[in-house]
Amino acid sequence: MWSKNLDADLQANRRYTAWAVRLLAPAFLLGALALYATFLYAPTEKVMGDVQRIFYFHVGSAWNAFVAFFVVFLASIAYLRTRRVKWDQLAVASTEVGVVFTTITLVTGSIWAKPIWYTWWPWGDPRVTTTLVLWLMYVSYLILRSSLPEGDQKYKFCAVLGIIGFINVPIVWMSIRWWRTHHPVVVTTSGMNLETKMVHTLMISVFAFAALYAVLLCLRTSMRLQERLTREMEVEVLAK
Amino acid sequence: MSPTRRLLDGLGLIWTLAEKDLRIELRSRQAFYTTLFFSFLILMVFNFAFDAANQDMRKAAPGILPGILWVALIFPGVIQLNRSFQSEREDGTLLGILLSPMDRGLIFLGKFLANWIFLVAVNLVTLAIFMAVYNFPLTSSTPWMLLLILLASLGFSAVGTLFGAMVSSIRTREVLLPILLFPIVIPVILAAVNGSTEVLLAENFRFLFQWIKILVAFDVIFLAASYLVFEYVVEES
Repeated sequence: MWSKNLDADLQANRRYTAWAVRLLAPAFLLGALALYATFLYAPTEKVMGDVQRIFYFHVGSAWNAFVAFFVVFLASIAYLRTRRVKWDQLAVASTEVGVVFTTITLVTGSIWAKPIWYTWWPWGDPRVTTTLVLWLMYVSYLILRSSLPEGDQKYKFCAVLGIIGFINVPIVWMSIRWWRTHHPVVVTTSGMNLETKMVHTLMISVFAFAALYAVLLCLRTSMRLQERLTREMEVEVLAK
Repeated sequence: MSPTRRLLDGLGLIWTLAEKDLRIELRSRQAFYTTLFFSFLILMVFNFAFDAANQDMRKAAPGILPGILWVALIFPGVIQLNRSFQSEREDGTLLGILLSPMDRGLIFLGKFLANWIFLVAVNLVTLAIFMAVYNFPLTSSTPWMLLLILLASLGFSAVGTLFGAMVSSIRTREVLLPILLFPIVIPVILAAVNGSTEVLLAENFRFLFQWIKILVAFDVIFLAASYLVFEYVVEES
Protein backbone atom coordinates (compact mmCIF):
# COMPACT_ATOMS: atom_id res chain seq x y z
CA MET A 1 0.00 0.00 0.00
CA TRP A 2 2.85 2.31 0.86
CA SER A 3 4.66 1.64 -2.40
CA LYS A 4 1.52 2.21 -4.43
CA ASN A 5 1.12 5.66 -2.92
CA LEU A 6 4.79 6.27 -3.42
CA ASP A 7 4.45 5.41 -7.07
CA ALA A 8 1.54 7.74 -7.58
CA ASP A 9 3.39 10.52 -5.79
CA LEU A 10 6.41 9.94 -7.96
CA GLN A 11 4.30 10.30 -11.07
CA ALA A 12 2.54 13.39 -9.75
CA ASN A 13 5.94 14.87 -8.99
CA ARG A 14 7.12 14.19 -12.54
CA ARG A 15 4.01 15.83 -13.95
CA TYR A 16 4.41 18.95 -11.84
CA THR A 17 8.08 19.27 -12.68
CA ALA A 18 7.33 18.81 -16.36
CA TRP A 19 4.68 21.50 -16.26
CA ALA A 20 6.98 23.90 -14.44
CA VAL A 21 9.61 23.41 -17.16
CA ARG A 22 7.06 23.73 -19.94
CA LEU A 23 5.59 26.94 -18.55
CA LEU A 24 8.90 28.58 -17.75
CA ALA A 25 9.51 29.96 -21.24
CA PRO A 26 5.97 31.36 -21.74
CA ALA A 27 6.12 32.90 -18.27
CA PHE A 28 9.44 34.54 -19.03
CA LEU A 29 8.22 35.86 -22.39
CA LEU A 30 4.97 37.18 -20.93
CA GLY A 31 6.92 38.79 -18.11
CA ALA A 32 9.23 40.55 -20.55
CA LEU A 33 6.26 41.60 -22.64
CA ALA A 34 4.46 42.91 -19.57
CA LEU A 35 7.51 44.98 -18.62
CA TYR A 36 7.72 46.38 -22.14
CA ALA A 37 4.00 47.14 -22.26
CA THR A 38 3.96 48.71 -18.82
CA PHE A 39 6.87 51.05 -19.35
CA LEU A 40 6.90 51.73 -23.09
CA TYR A 41 3.67 50.69 -24.76
CA ALA A 42 1.08 52.02 -22.31
CA PRO A 43 0.52 55.78 -22.49
CA THR A 44 1.21 57.96 -19.48
CA GLU A 45 -1.93 58.64 -17.51
CA LYS A 46 -2.88 62.33 -17.64
CA VAL A 47 -3.66 63.05 -14.01
CA MET A 48 -1.49 60.62 -12.10
CA GLY A 49 1.50 60.52 -14.40
CA ASP A 50 4.04 57.73 -14.51
CA VAL A 51 3.19 56.39 -11.08
CA GLN A 52 -0.05 55.02 -12.52
CA ARG A 53 2.03 52.38 -14.32
CA ILE A 54 2.22 50.50 -11.04
CA PHE A 55 -1.46 49.75 -11.62
CA TYR A 56 -0.72 46.96 -14.11
CA PHE A 57 1.43 44.92 -11.74
CA HIS A 58 -0.80 45.81 -8.83
CA VAL A 59 -3.95 44.45 -10.48
CA GLY A 60 -2.11 41.56 -12.10
CA SER A 61 -0.92 40.23 -8.76
CA ALA A 62 -4.23 40.97 -7.03
CA TRP A 63 -6.40 39.03 -9.46
CA ASN A 64 -4.07 36.07 -9.45
CA ALA A 65 -3.91 36.10 -5.67
CA PHE A 66 -7.68 35.60 -5.66
CA VAL A 67 -7.27 32.77 -8.16
CA ALA A 68 -4.62 31.25 -5.89
CA PHE A 69 -6.93 31.28 -2.88
CA PHE A 70 -9.71 29.78 -4.95
CA VAL A 71 -7.33 26.96 -5.88
CA VAL A 72 -6.58 26.51 -2.16
CA PHE A 73 -10.30 26.17 -1.55
CA LEU A 74 -10.79 23.57 -4.29
CA ALA A 75 -7.67 21.60 -3.38
CA SER A 76 -8.72 21.60 0.30
CA ILE A 77 -12.10 20.11 -0.56
CA ALA A 78 -10.37 17.58 -2.80
CA TYR A 79 -8.04 16.60 0.05
CA LEU A 80 -10.84 16.05 2.54
CA ARG A 81 -12.74 13.93 0.04
CA THR A 82 -9.87 11.82 -1.31
CA ARG A 83 -7.16 12.06 1.37
CA ARG A 84 -4.54 12.16 -1.35
CA VAL A 85 -1.56 14.12 -0.09
CA LYS A 86 -0.93 15.68 -3.47
CA TRP A 87 -4.04 17.84 -2.99
CA ASP A 88 -2.69 19.13 0.28
CA GLN A 89 0.65 19.94 -1.31
CA LEU A 90 -1.15 21.79 -4.07
CA ALA A 91 -3.19 23.72 -1.49
CA VAL A 92 -0.18 24.83 0.54
CA ALA A 93 1.83 25.73 -2.57
CA SER A 94 -1.07 27.84 -3.77
CA THR A 95 -1.37 29.49 -0.35
CA GLU A 96 2.29 30.41 -0.38
CA VAL A 97 2.16 31.94 -3.85
CA GLY A 98 -1.14 33.61 -2.95
CA VAL A 99 0.38 35.20 0.14
CA VAL A 100 3.37 36.44 -1.87
CA PHE A 101 1.01 37.90 -4.50
CA THR A 102 -1.17 39.59 -1.87
CA THR A 103 1.96 41.03 -0.32
CA ILE A 104 2.97 42.39 -3.73
CA THR A 105 -0.53 43.82 -4.14
CA LEU A 106 -0.46 45.52 -0.75
CA VAL A 107 3.05 46.91 -1.17
CA THR A 108 2.52 48.20 -4.72
CA GLY A 109 -0.87 49.59 -3.67
CA SER A 110 0.81 51.38 -0.81
CA ILE A 111 3.48 52.88 -3.07
CA TRP A 112 0.79 53.97 -5.50
CA ALA A 113 -1.44 55.42 -2.80
CA LYS A 114 1.24 57.67 -1.31
CA PRO A 115 1.52 60.17 -4.20
CA ILE A 116 -2.12 59.86 -5.30
CA TRP A 117 -4.09 59.72 -2.04
CA TYR A 118 -1.33 61.21 0.16
CA THR A 119 -1.31 58.20 2.44
CA TRP A 120 0.58 54.94 2.57
CA TRP A 121 -2.45 53.08 3.73
CA PRO A 122 -5.85 54.03 2.33
CA TRP A 123 -8.18 52.48 4.92
CA GLY A 124 -11.01 54.13 3.04
CA ASP A 125 -10.78 51.74 0.14
CA PRO A 126 -12.71 48.50 0.73
CA ARG A 127 -10.55 46.57 -1.72
CA VAL A 128 -7.38 47.39 0.19
CA THR A 129 -8.90 46.40 3.50
CA THR A 130 -10.38 43.18 2.12
CA THR A 131 -7.00 42.25 0.65
CA LEU A 132 -5.44 42.94 4.03
CA VAL A 133 -7.90 40.60 5.74
CA LEU A 134 -7.18 37.95 3.10
CA TRP A 135 -3.48 38.34 3.79
CA LEU A 136 -4.09 37.95 7.54
CA MET A 137 -6.18 34.81 7.03
CA TYR A 138 -3.71 33.05 4.81
CA VAL A 139 -0.70 34.03 6.87
CA SER A 140 -2.49 32.40 9.81
CA TYR A 141 -2.88 29.32 7.59
CA LEU A 142 0.88 29.21 7.13
CA ILE A 143 1.43 29.71 10.86
CA LEU A 144 -0.94 26.83 11.63
CA ARG A 145 0.98 24.75 9.16
CA SER A 146 4.32 25.48 10.73
CA SER A 147 3.12 24.44 14.17
CA LEU A 148 1.98 20.94 13.24
CA PRO A 149 3.99 17.78 12.64
CA GLU A 150 3.74 16.16 9.20
CA GLY A 151 0.80 13.85 8.76
CA ASP A 152 -2.85 13.48 7.94
CA GLN A 153 -3.89 15.67 10.87
CA LYS A 154 -1.87 18.62 9.61
CA TYR A 155 -3.30 18.29 6.11
CA LYS A 156 -6.83 17.99 7.42
CA PHE A 157 -6.59 21.04 9.68
CA CYS A 158 -5.10 23.12 6.89
CA ALA A 159 -7.80 21.96 4.50
CA VAL A 160 -10.47 22.99 7.00
CA LEU A 161 -8.88 26.41 7.34
CA GLY A 162 -8.52 26.72 3.56
CA ILE A 163 -12.26 26.13 3.19
CA ILE A 164 -13.40 28.32 6.09
CA GLY A 165 -11.10 31.16 4.99
CA PHE A 166 -12.38 31.21 1.45
CA ILE A 167 -16.08 31.19 2.25
CA ASN A 168 -15.39 34.13 4.53
CA VAL A 169 -14.22 36.32 1.63
CA PRO A 170 -17.67 37.54 0.45
CA ILE A 171 -18.75 38.31 4.02
CA VAL A 172 -15.54 40.24 4.68
CA TRP A 173 -16.03 42.16 1.45
CA MET A 174 -19.66 43.08 2.21
CA SER A 175 -18.98 44.10 5.79
CA ILE A 176 -15.98 46.22 4.90
CA ARG A 177 -17.82 47.89 2.05
CA TRP A 178 -20.70 48.84 4.32
CA TRP A 179 -18.34 49.91 7.04
CA ARG A 180 -16.59 52.34 4.69
CA THR A 181 -19.68 53.69 2.99
CA HIS A 182 -21.09 54.68 6.36
CA HIS A 183 -18.12 56.76 7.32
CA PRO A 184 -17.14 59.94 5.58
CA VAL A 185 -15.16 58.65 2.65
CA VAL A 186 -11.97 60.63 2.40
CA VAL A 187 -10.54 58.86 -0.56
CA THR A 188 -12.50 57.53 -3.45
CA THR A 189 -11.42 55.29 -6.25
CA SER A 190 -12.96 57.18 -9.08
CA GLY A 191 -13.23 54.97 -12.11
CA MET A 192 -10.20 55.34 -14.29
CA ASN A 193 -11.05 55.59 -17.93
CA LEU A 194 -8.73 53.08 -19.45
CA GLU A 195 -7.48 53.64 -22.96
CA THR A 196 -7.31 50.68 -25.30
CA LYS A 197 -3.55 50.45 -24.92
CA MET A 198 -3.93 50.48 -21.17
CA VAL A 199 -6.42 47.63 -21.35
CA HIS A 200 -3.96 45.65 -23.51
CA THR A 201 -1.19 46.27 -21.00
CA LEU A 202 -3.42 45.23 -18.13
CA MET A 203 -4.38 42.01 -19.90
CA ILE A 204 -0.77 41.14 -20.69
CA SER A 205 0.22 41.84 -17.12
CA VAL A 206 -2.60 39.70 -15.73
CA PHE A 207 -1.56 36.81 -17.97
CA ALA A 208 2.09 37.30 -17.05
CA PHE A 209 1.22 37.00 -13.38
CA ALA A 210 -1.00 34.01 -14.13
CA ALA A 211 1.91 32.28 -15.86
CA LEU A 212 4.22 33.17 -12.99
CA TYR A 213 1.65 31.78 -10.57
CA ALA A 214 1.42 28.53 -12.52
CA VAL A 215 5.20 28.08 -12.63
CA LEU A 216 5.65 28.81 -8.94
CA LEU A 217 2.72 26.59 -8.06
CA CYS A 218 4.13 23.64 -9.99
CA LEU A 219 7.61 24.19 -8.59
CA ARG A 220 6.50 24.45 -4.97
CA THR A 221 4.18 21.46 -5.29
CA SER A 222 6.84 19.27 -6.85
CA MET A 223 9.34 20.42 -4.25
CA ARG A 224 7.03 19.32 -1.46
CA LEU A 225 6.31 16.03 -3.17
CA GLN A 226 10.04 15.41 -3.49
CA GLU A 227 10.59 16.16 0.18
CA ARG A 228 7.91 13.67 1.03
CA LEU A 229 9.22 11.05 -1.35
CA THR A 230 12.69 11.36 0.10
CA ARG A 231 11.34 10.87 3.59
CA GLU A 232 9.26 7.87 2.62
CA MET A 233 12.07 6.27 0.68
CA GLU A 234 14.30 6.66 3.73
CA VAL A 235 11.68 4.92 5.82
CA GLU A 236 11.38 2.10 3.31
CA VAL A 237 15.13 1.65 3.05
CA LEU A 238 15.50 1.64 6.82
CA ALA A 239 12.70 -0.90 7.12
CA LYS A 240 14.58 -3.24 4.82
CA MET B 1 -37.95 6.19 13.02
CA SER B 2 -40.00 9.16 11.97
CA PRO B 3 -38.14 12.36 11.03
CA THR B 4 -39.64 14.27 13.96
CA ARG B 5 -38.52 11.59 16.36
CA ARG B 6 -35.01 11.67 14.96
CA LEU B 7 -34.90 15.44 15.19
CA LEU B 8 -36.01 15.30 18.82
CA ASP B 9 -33.43 12.62 19.57
CA GLY B 10 -30.73 14.75 17.93
CA LEU B 11 -31.74 17.79 19.95
CA GLY B 12 -31.73 15.66 23.08
CA LEU B 13 -28.19 14.48 22.40
CA ILE B 14 -27.02 18.03 21.70
CA TRP B 15 -28.53 19.25 24.93
CA THR B 16 -27.11 16.35 26.94
CA LEU B 17 -23.62 17.25 25.79
CA ALA B 18 -24.10 20.98 26.29
CA GLU B 19 -25.66 20.45 29.70
CA LYS B 20 -22.67 18.36 30.81
CA ASP B 21 -20.30 21.22 29.97
CA LEU B 22 -22.51 23.81 31.59
CA ARG B 23 -22.91 21.70 34.73
CA ILE B 24 -19.14 21.30 35.07
CA GLU B 25 -18.81 25.04 34.69
CA LEU B 26 -21.62 25.78 37.15
CA ARG B 27 -19.92 23.64 39.76
CA SER B 28 -16.38 24.91 39.30
CA ARG B 29 -17.12 28.41 37.98
CA GLN B 30 -13.49 28.57 37.05
CA ALA B 31 -13.69 29.78 33.48
CA PHE B 32 -16.62 32.09 34.16
CA TYR B 33 -14.81 34.23 36.69
CA THR B 34 -11.53 34.18 34.77
CA THR B 35 -13.22 35.23 31.55
CA LEU B 36 -15.35 37.85 33.26
CA PHE B 37 -12.37 39.27 35.08
CA PHE B 38 -10.46 39.46 31.81
CA SER B 39 -13.38 41.34 30.23
CA PHE B 40 -13.51 43.71 33.19
CA LEU B 41 -9.76 44.23 32.97
CA ILE B 42 -10.04 45.18 29.29
CA LEU B 43 -12.77 47.71 30.09
CA MET B 44 -10.51 49.27 32.71
CA VAL B 45 -7.19 49.14 30.87
CA PHE B 46 -8.70 50.64 27.73
CA ASN B 47 -10.15 53.45 29.76
CA PHE B 48 -6.66 54.31 30.96
CA ALA B 49 -5.33 53.98 27.42
CA PHE B 50 -7.94 56.21 25.76
CA ASP B 51 -9.41 58.17 28.66
CA ALA B 52 -12.66 56.96 27.15
CA ALA B 53 -14.99 57.96 30.00
CA ASN B 54 -13.95 61.60 29.66
CA GLN B 55 -16.85 63.65 28.28
CA ASP B 56 -14.71 65.54 25.73
CA MET B 57 -13.27 62.30 24.51
CA ARG B 58 -16.71 60.78 24.13
CA LYS B 59 -17.82 63.73 22.04
CA ALA B 60 -14.69 63.75 19.91
CA ALA B 61 -14.63 60.02 19.23
CA PRO B 62 -18.08 58.54 19.75
CA GLY B 63 -17.09 55.22 18.23
CA ILE B 64 -14.44 54.51 20.82
CA LEU B 65 -16.69 53.13 23.57
CA PRO B 66 -18.51 50.55 21.44
CA GLY B 67 -15.08 49.51 20.20
CA ILE B 68 -13.80 48.99 23.73
CA LEU B 69 -16.96 47.11 24.64
CA TRP B 70 -16.52 44.64 21.80
CA VAL B 71 -12.87 44.03 22.49
CA ALA B 72 -13.95 43.21 26.03
CA LEU B 73 -16.74 40.95 24.77
CA ILE B 74 -14.81 39.07 22.10
CA PHE B 75 -11.20 38.67 23.22
CA PRO B 76 -11.74 36.93 26.57
CA GLY B 77 -13.96 34.35 24.85
CA VAL B 78 -10.79 32.72 23.59
CA ILE B 79 -10.11 31.44 27.13
CA GLN B 80 -13.32 29.43 27.13
CA LEU B 81 -12.93 28.21 23.54
CA ASN B 82 -9.44 26.98 24.33
CA ARG B 83 -10.63 25.17 27.44
CA SER B 84 -13.65 23.60 25.78
CA PHE B 85 -11.77 20.76 24.10
CA GLN B 86 -8.60 21.00 26.12
CA SER B 87 -10.31 19.67 29.24
CA GLU B 88 -11.92 16.89 27.19
CA ARG B 89 -8.54 15.82 25.90
CA GLU B 90 -6.81 16.01 29.26
CA ASP B 91 -9.42 13.87 30.97
CA GLY B 92 -9.57 11.48 28.04
CA THR B 93 -13.31 12.10 27.74
CA LEU B 94 -13.10 13.20 24.12
CA LEU B 95 -12.44 9.63 23.08
CA GLY B 96 -15.51 8.50 24.99
CA ILE B 97 -17.67 11.09 23.30
CA LEU B 98 -16.27 10.21 19.89
CA LEU B 99 -16.91 6.52 20.53
CA SER B 100 -20.55 7.11 21.42
CA PRO B 101 -22.89 6.26 18.56
CA MET B 102 -23.84 9.77 17.57
CA ASP B 103 -23.24 11.91 14.55
CA ARG B 104 -20.05 13.99 14.78
CA GLY B 105 -21.98 17.06 13.73
CA LEU B 106 -24.19 16.68 16.79
CA ILE B 107 -21.09 16.60 19.01
CA PHE B 108 -20.06 19.87 17.43
CA LEU B 109 -23.48 21.40 18.04
CA GLY B 110 -23.42 20.28 21.67
CA LYS B 111 -20.02 21.79 22.37
CA PHE B 112 -20.96 24.88 20.41
CA LEU B 113 -24.19 25.33 22.36
CA ALA B 114 -22.36 25.16 25.68
CA ASN B 115 -19.77 27.69 24.52
CA TRP B 116 -22.43 29.99 23.16
CA ILE B 117 -24.51 29.96 26.35
CA PHE B 118 -21.34 30.51 28.37
CA LEU B 119 -20.22 33.44 26.25
CA VAL B 120 -23.65 35.07 26.27
CA ALA B 121 -23.72 34.80 30.07
CA VAL B 122 -20.29 36.40 30.44
CA ASN B 123 -21.13 39.02 27.82
CA LEU B 124 -24.34 40.06 29.55
CA VAL B 125 -22.52 40.70 32.82
CA THR B 126 -19.79 42.57 30.95
CA LEU B 127 -22.41 44.68 29.17
CA ALA B 128 -24.00 45.56 32.50
CA ILE B 129 -20.62 46.58 33.94
CA PHE B 130 -19.83 48.55 30.79
CA MET B 131 -23.10 50.45 30.88
CA ALA B 132 -22.62 51.21 34.56
CA VAL B 133 -19.01 52.40 34.48
CA TYR B 134 -19.42 54.41 31.29
CA ASN B 135 -22.77 55.88 32.24
CA PHE B 136 -25.08 54.53 29.59
CA PRO B 137 -28.67 54.66 30.83
CA LEU B 138 -31.03 51.77 30.16
CA THR B 139 -33.24 52.84 27.31
CA SER B 140 -35.76 51.29 25.01
CA SER B 141 -32.96 50.51 22.57
CA THR B 142 -30.99 48.40 25.05
CA PRO B 143 -32.68 45.15 23.92
CA TRP B 144 -31.01 45.66 20.54
CA MET B 145 -27.69 45.31 22.35
CA LEU B 146 -28.83 41.93 23.63
CA LEU B 147 -29.68 40.88 20.10
CA LEU B 148 -26.27 41.99 18.85
CA ILE B 149 -24.59 40.04 21.65
CA LEU B 150 -26.60 36.92 20.88
CA LEU B 151 -25.81 37.06 17.16
CA ALA B 152 -22.15 38.07 17.45
CA SER B 153 -21.32 35.45 20.06
CA LEU B 154 -23.12 32.81 17.99
CA GLY B 155 -20.84 33.23 14.98
CA PHE B 156 -17.81 33.67 17.19
CA SER B 157 -18.45 30.49 19.15
CA ALA B 158 -19.32 28.50 16.01
CA VAL B 159 -15.94 29.13 14.38
CA GLY B 160 -14.29 29.19 17.81
CA THR B 161 -15.57 25.74 18.75
CA LEU B 162 -14.32 24.32 15.46
CA PHE B 163 -10.89 25.91 15.82
CA GLY B 164 -10.79 25.11 19.53
CA ALA B 165 -11.21 21.43 18.69
CA MET B 166 -8.53 21.78 16.06
CA VAL B 167 -5.84 23.41 18.19
CA SER B 168 -6.54 21.33 21.31
CA SER B 169 -4.09 18.69 20.07
CA ILE B 170 -1.35 21.19 19.26
CA ARG B 171 1.30 22.20 21.75
CA THR B 172 1.13 25.93 20.99
CA ARG B 173 -2.68 26.06 21.17
CA GLU B 174 -2.94 29.10 23.47
CA VAL B 175 -1.20 31.28 20.92
CA LEU B 176 -2.61 29.56 17.89
CA LEU B 177 -6.33 29.92 18.61
CA PRO B 178 -6.46 33.74 18.55
CA ILE B 179 -4.15 33.78 15.52
CA LEU B 180 -6.56 31.56 13.58
CA LEU B 181 -9.76 32.99 14.95
CA PHE B 182 -9.37 36.77 14.83
CA PRO B 183 -8.80 37.17 11.07
CA ILE B 184 -11.92 35.11 10.41
CA VAL B 185 -14.18 37.01 12.81
CA ILE B 186 -13.29 40.47 11.51
CA PRO B 187 -16.75 40.80 9.86
CA VAL B 188 -18.38 39.97 13.21
CA ILE B 189 -16.36 42.62 15.00
CA LEU B 190 -17.11 45.21 12.30
CA ALA B 191 -20.83 44.46 12.33
CA ALA B 192 -21.10 44.31 16.11
CA VAL B 193 -19.14 47.51 16.75
CA ASN B 194 -20.95 49.52 14.10
CA GLY B 195 -24.33 48.15 15.10
CA SER B 196 -23.77 49.01 18.76
CA THR B 197 -22.51 52.47 17.91
CA GLU B 198 -25.96 53.19 16.52
CA VAL B 199 -27.75 51.56 19.42
CA LEU B 200 -25.67 53.10 22.21
CA LEU B 201 -25.55 56.59 20.78
CA ALA B 202 -29.30 56.35 20.13
CA GLU B 203 -28.91 57.48 16.58
CA ASN B 204 -31.55 56.74 14.05
CA PHE B 205 -31.18 53.07 13.28
CA ARG B 206 -30.36 53.60 9.65
CA PHE B 207 -27.83 50.85 9.19
CA LEU B 208 -28.49 48.65 12.19
CA PHE B 209 -30.41 46.13 10.14
CA GLN B 210 -27.69 45.94 7.57
CA TRP B 211 -25.25 44.99 10.32
CA ILE B 212 -27.70 42.50 11.75
CA LYS B 213 -27.96 40.99 8.29
CA ILE B 214 -24.17 40.59 8.14
CA LEU B 215 -24.19 38.91 11.54
CA VAL B 216 -27.01 36.57 10.58
CA ALA B 217 -25.26 35.67 7.31
CA PHE B 218 -22.00 34.98 9.15
CA ASP B 219 -23.80 32.90 11.78
CA VAL B 220 -25.73 30.77 9.32
CA ILE B 221 -22.79 30.18 6.97
CA PHE B 222 -20.25 29.35 9.62
CA LEU B 223 -22.56 27.28 11.79
CA ALA B 224 -23.33 25.15 8.73
CA ALA B 225 -19.71 25.03 7.52
CA SER B 226 -18.33 24.15 10.95
CA TYR B 227 -21.00 21.50 11.41
CA LEU B 228 -20.00 19.94 8.11
CA VAL B 229 -16.22 19.93 8.53
CA PHE B 230 -16.12 19.16 12.26
CA GLU B 231 -15.77 15.42 11.74
CA TYR B 232 -12.47 15.92 9.94
CA VAL B 233 -11.12 17.87 12.87
CA VAL B 234 -11.80 15.32 15.59
CA GLU B 235 -11.39 12.00 13.85
CA GLU B 236 -8.31 10.07 14.88
CA SER B 237 -6.16 9.19 11.93
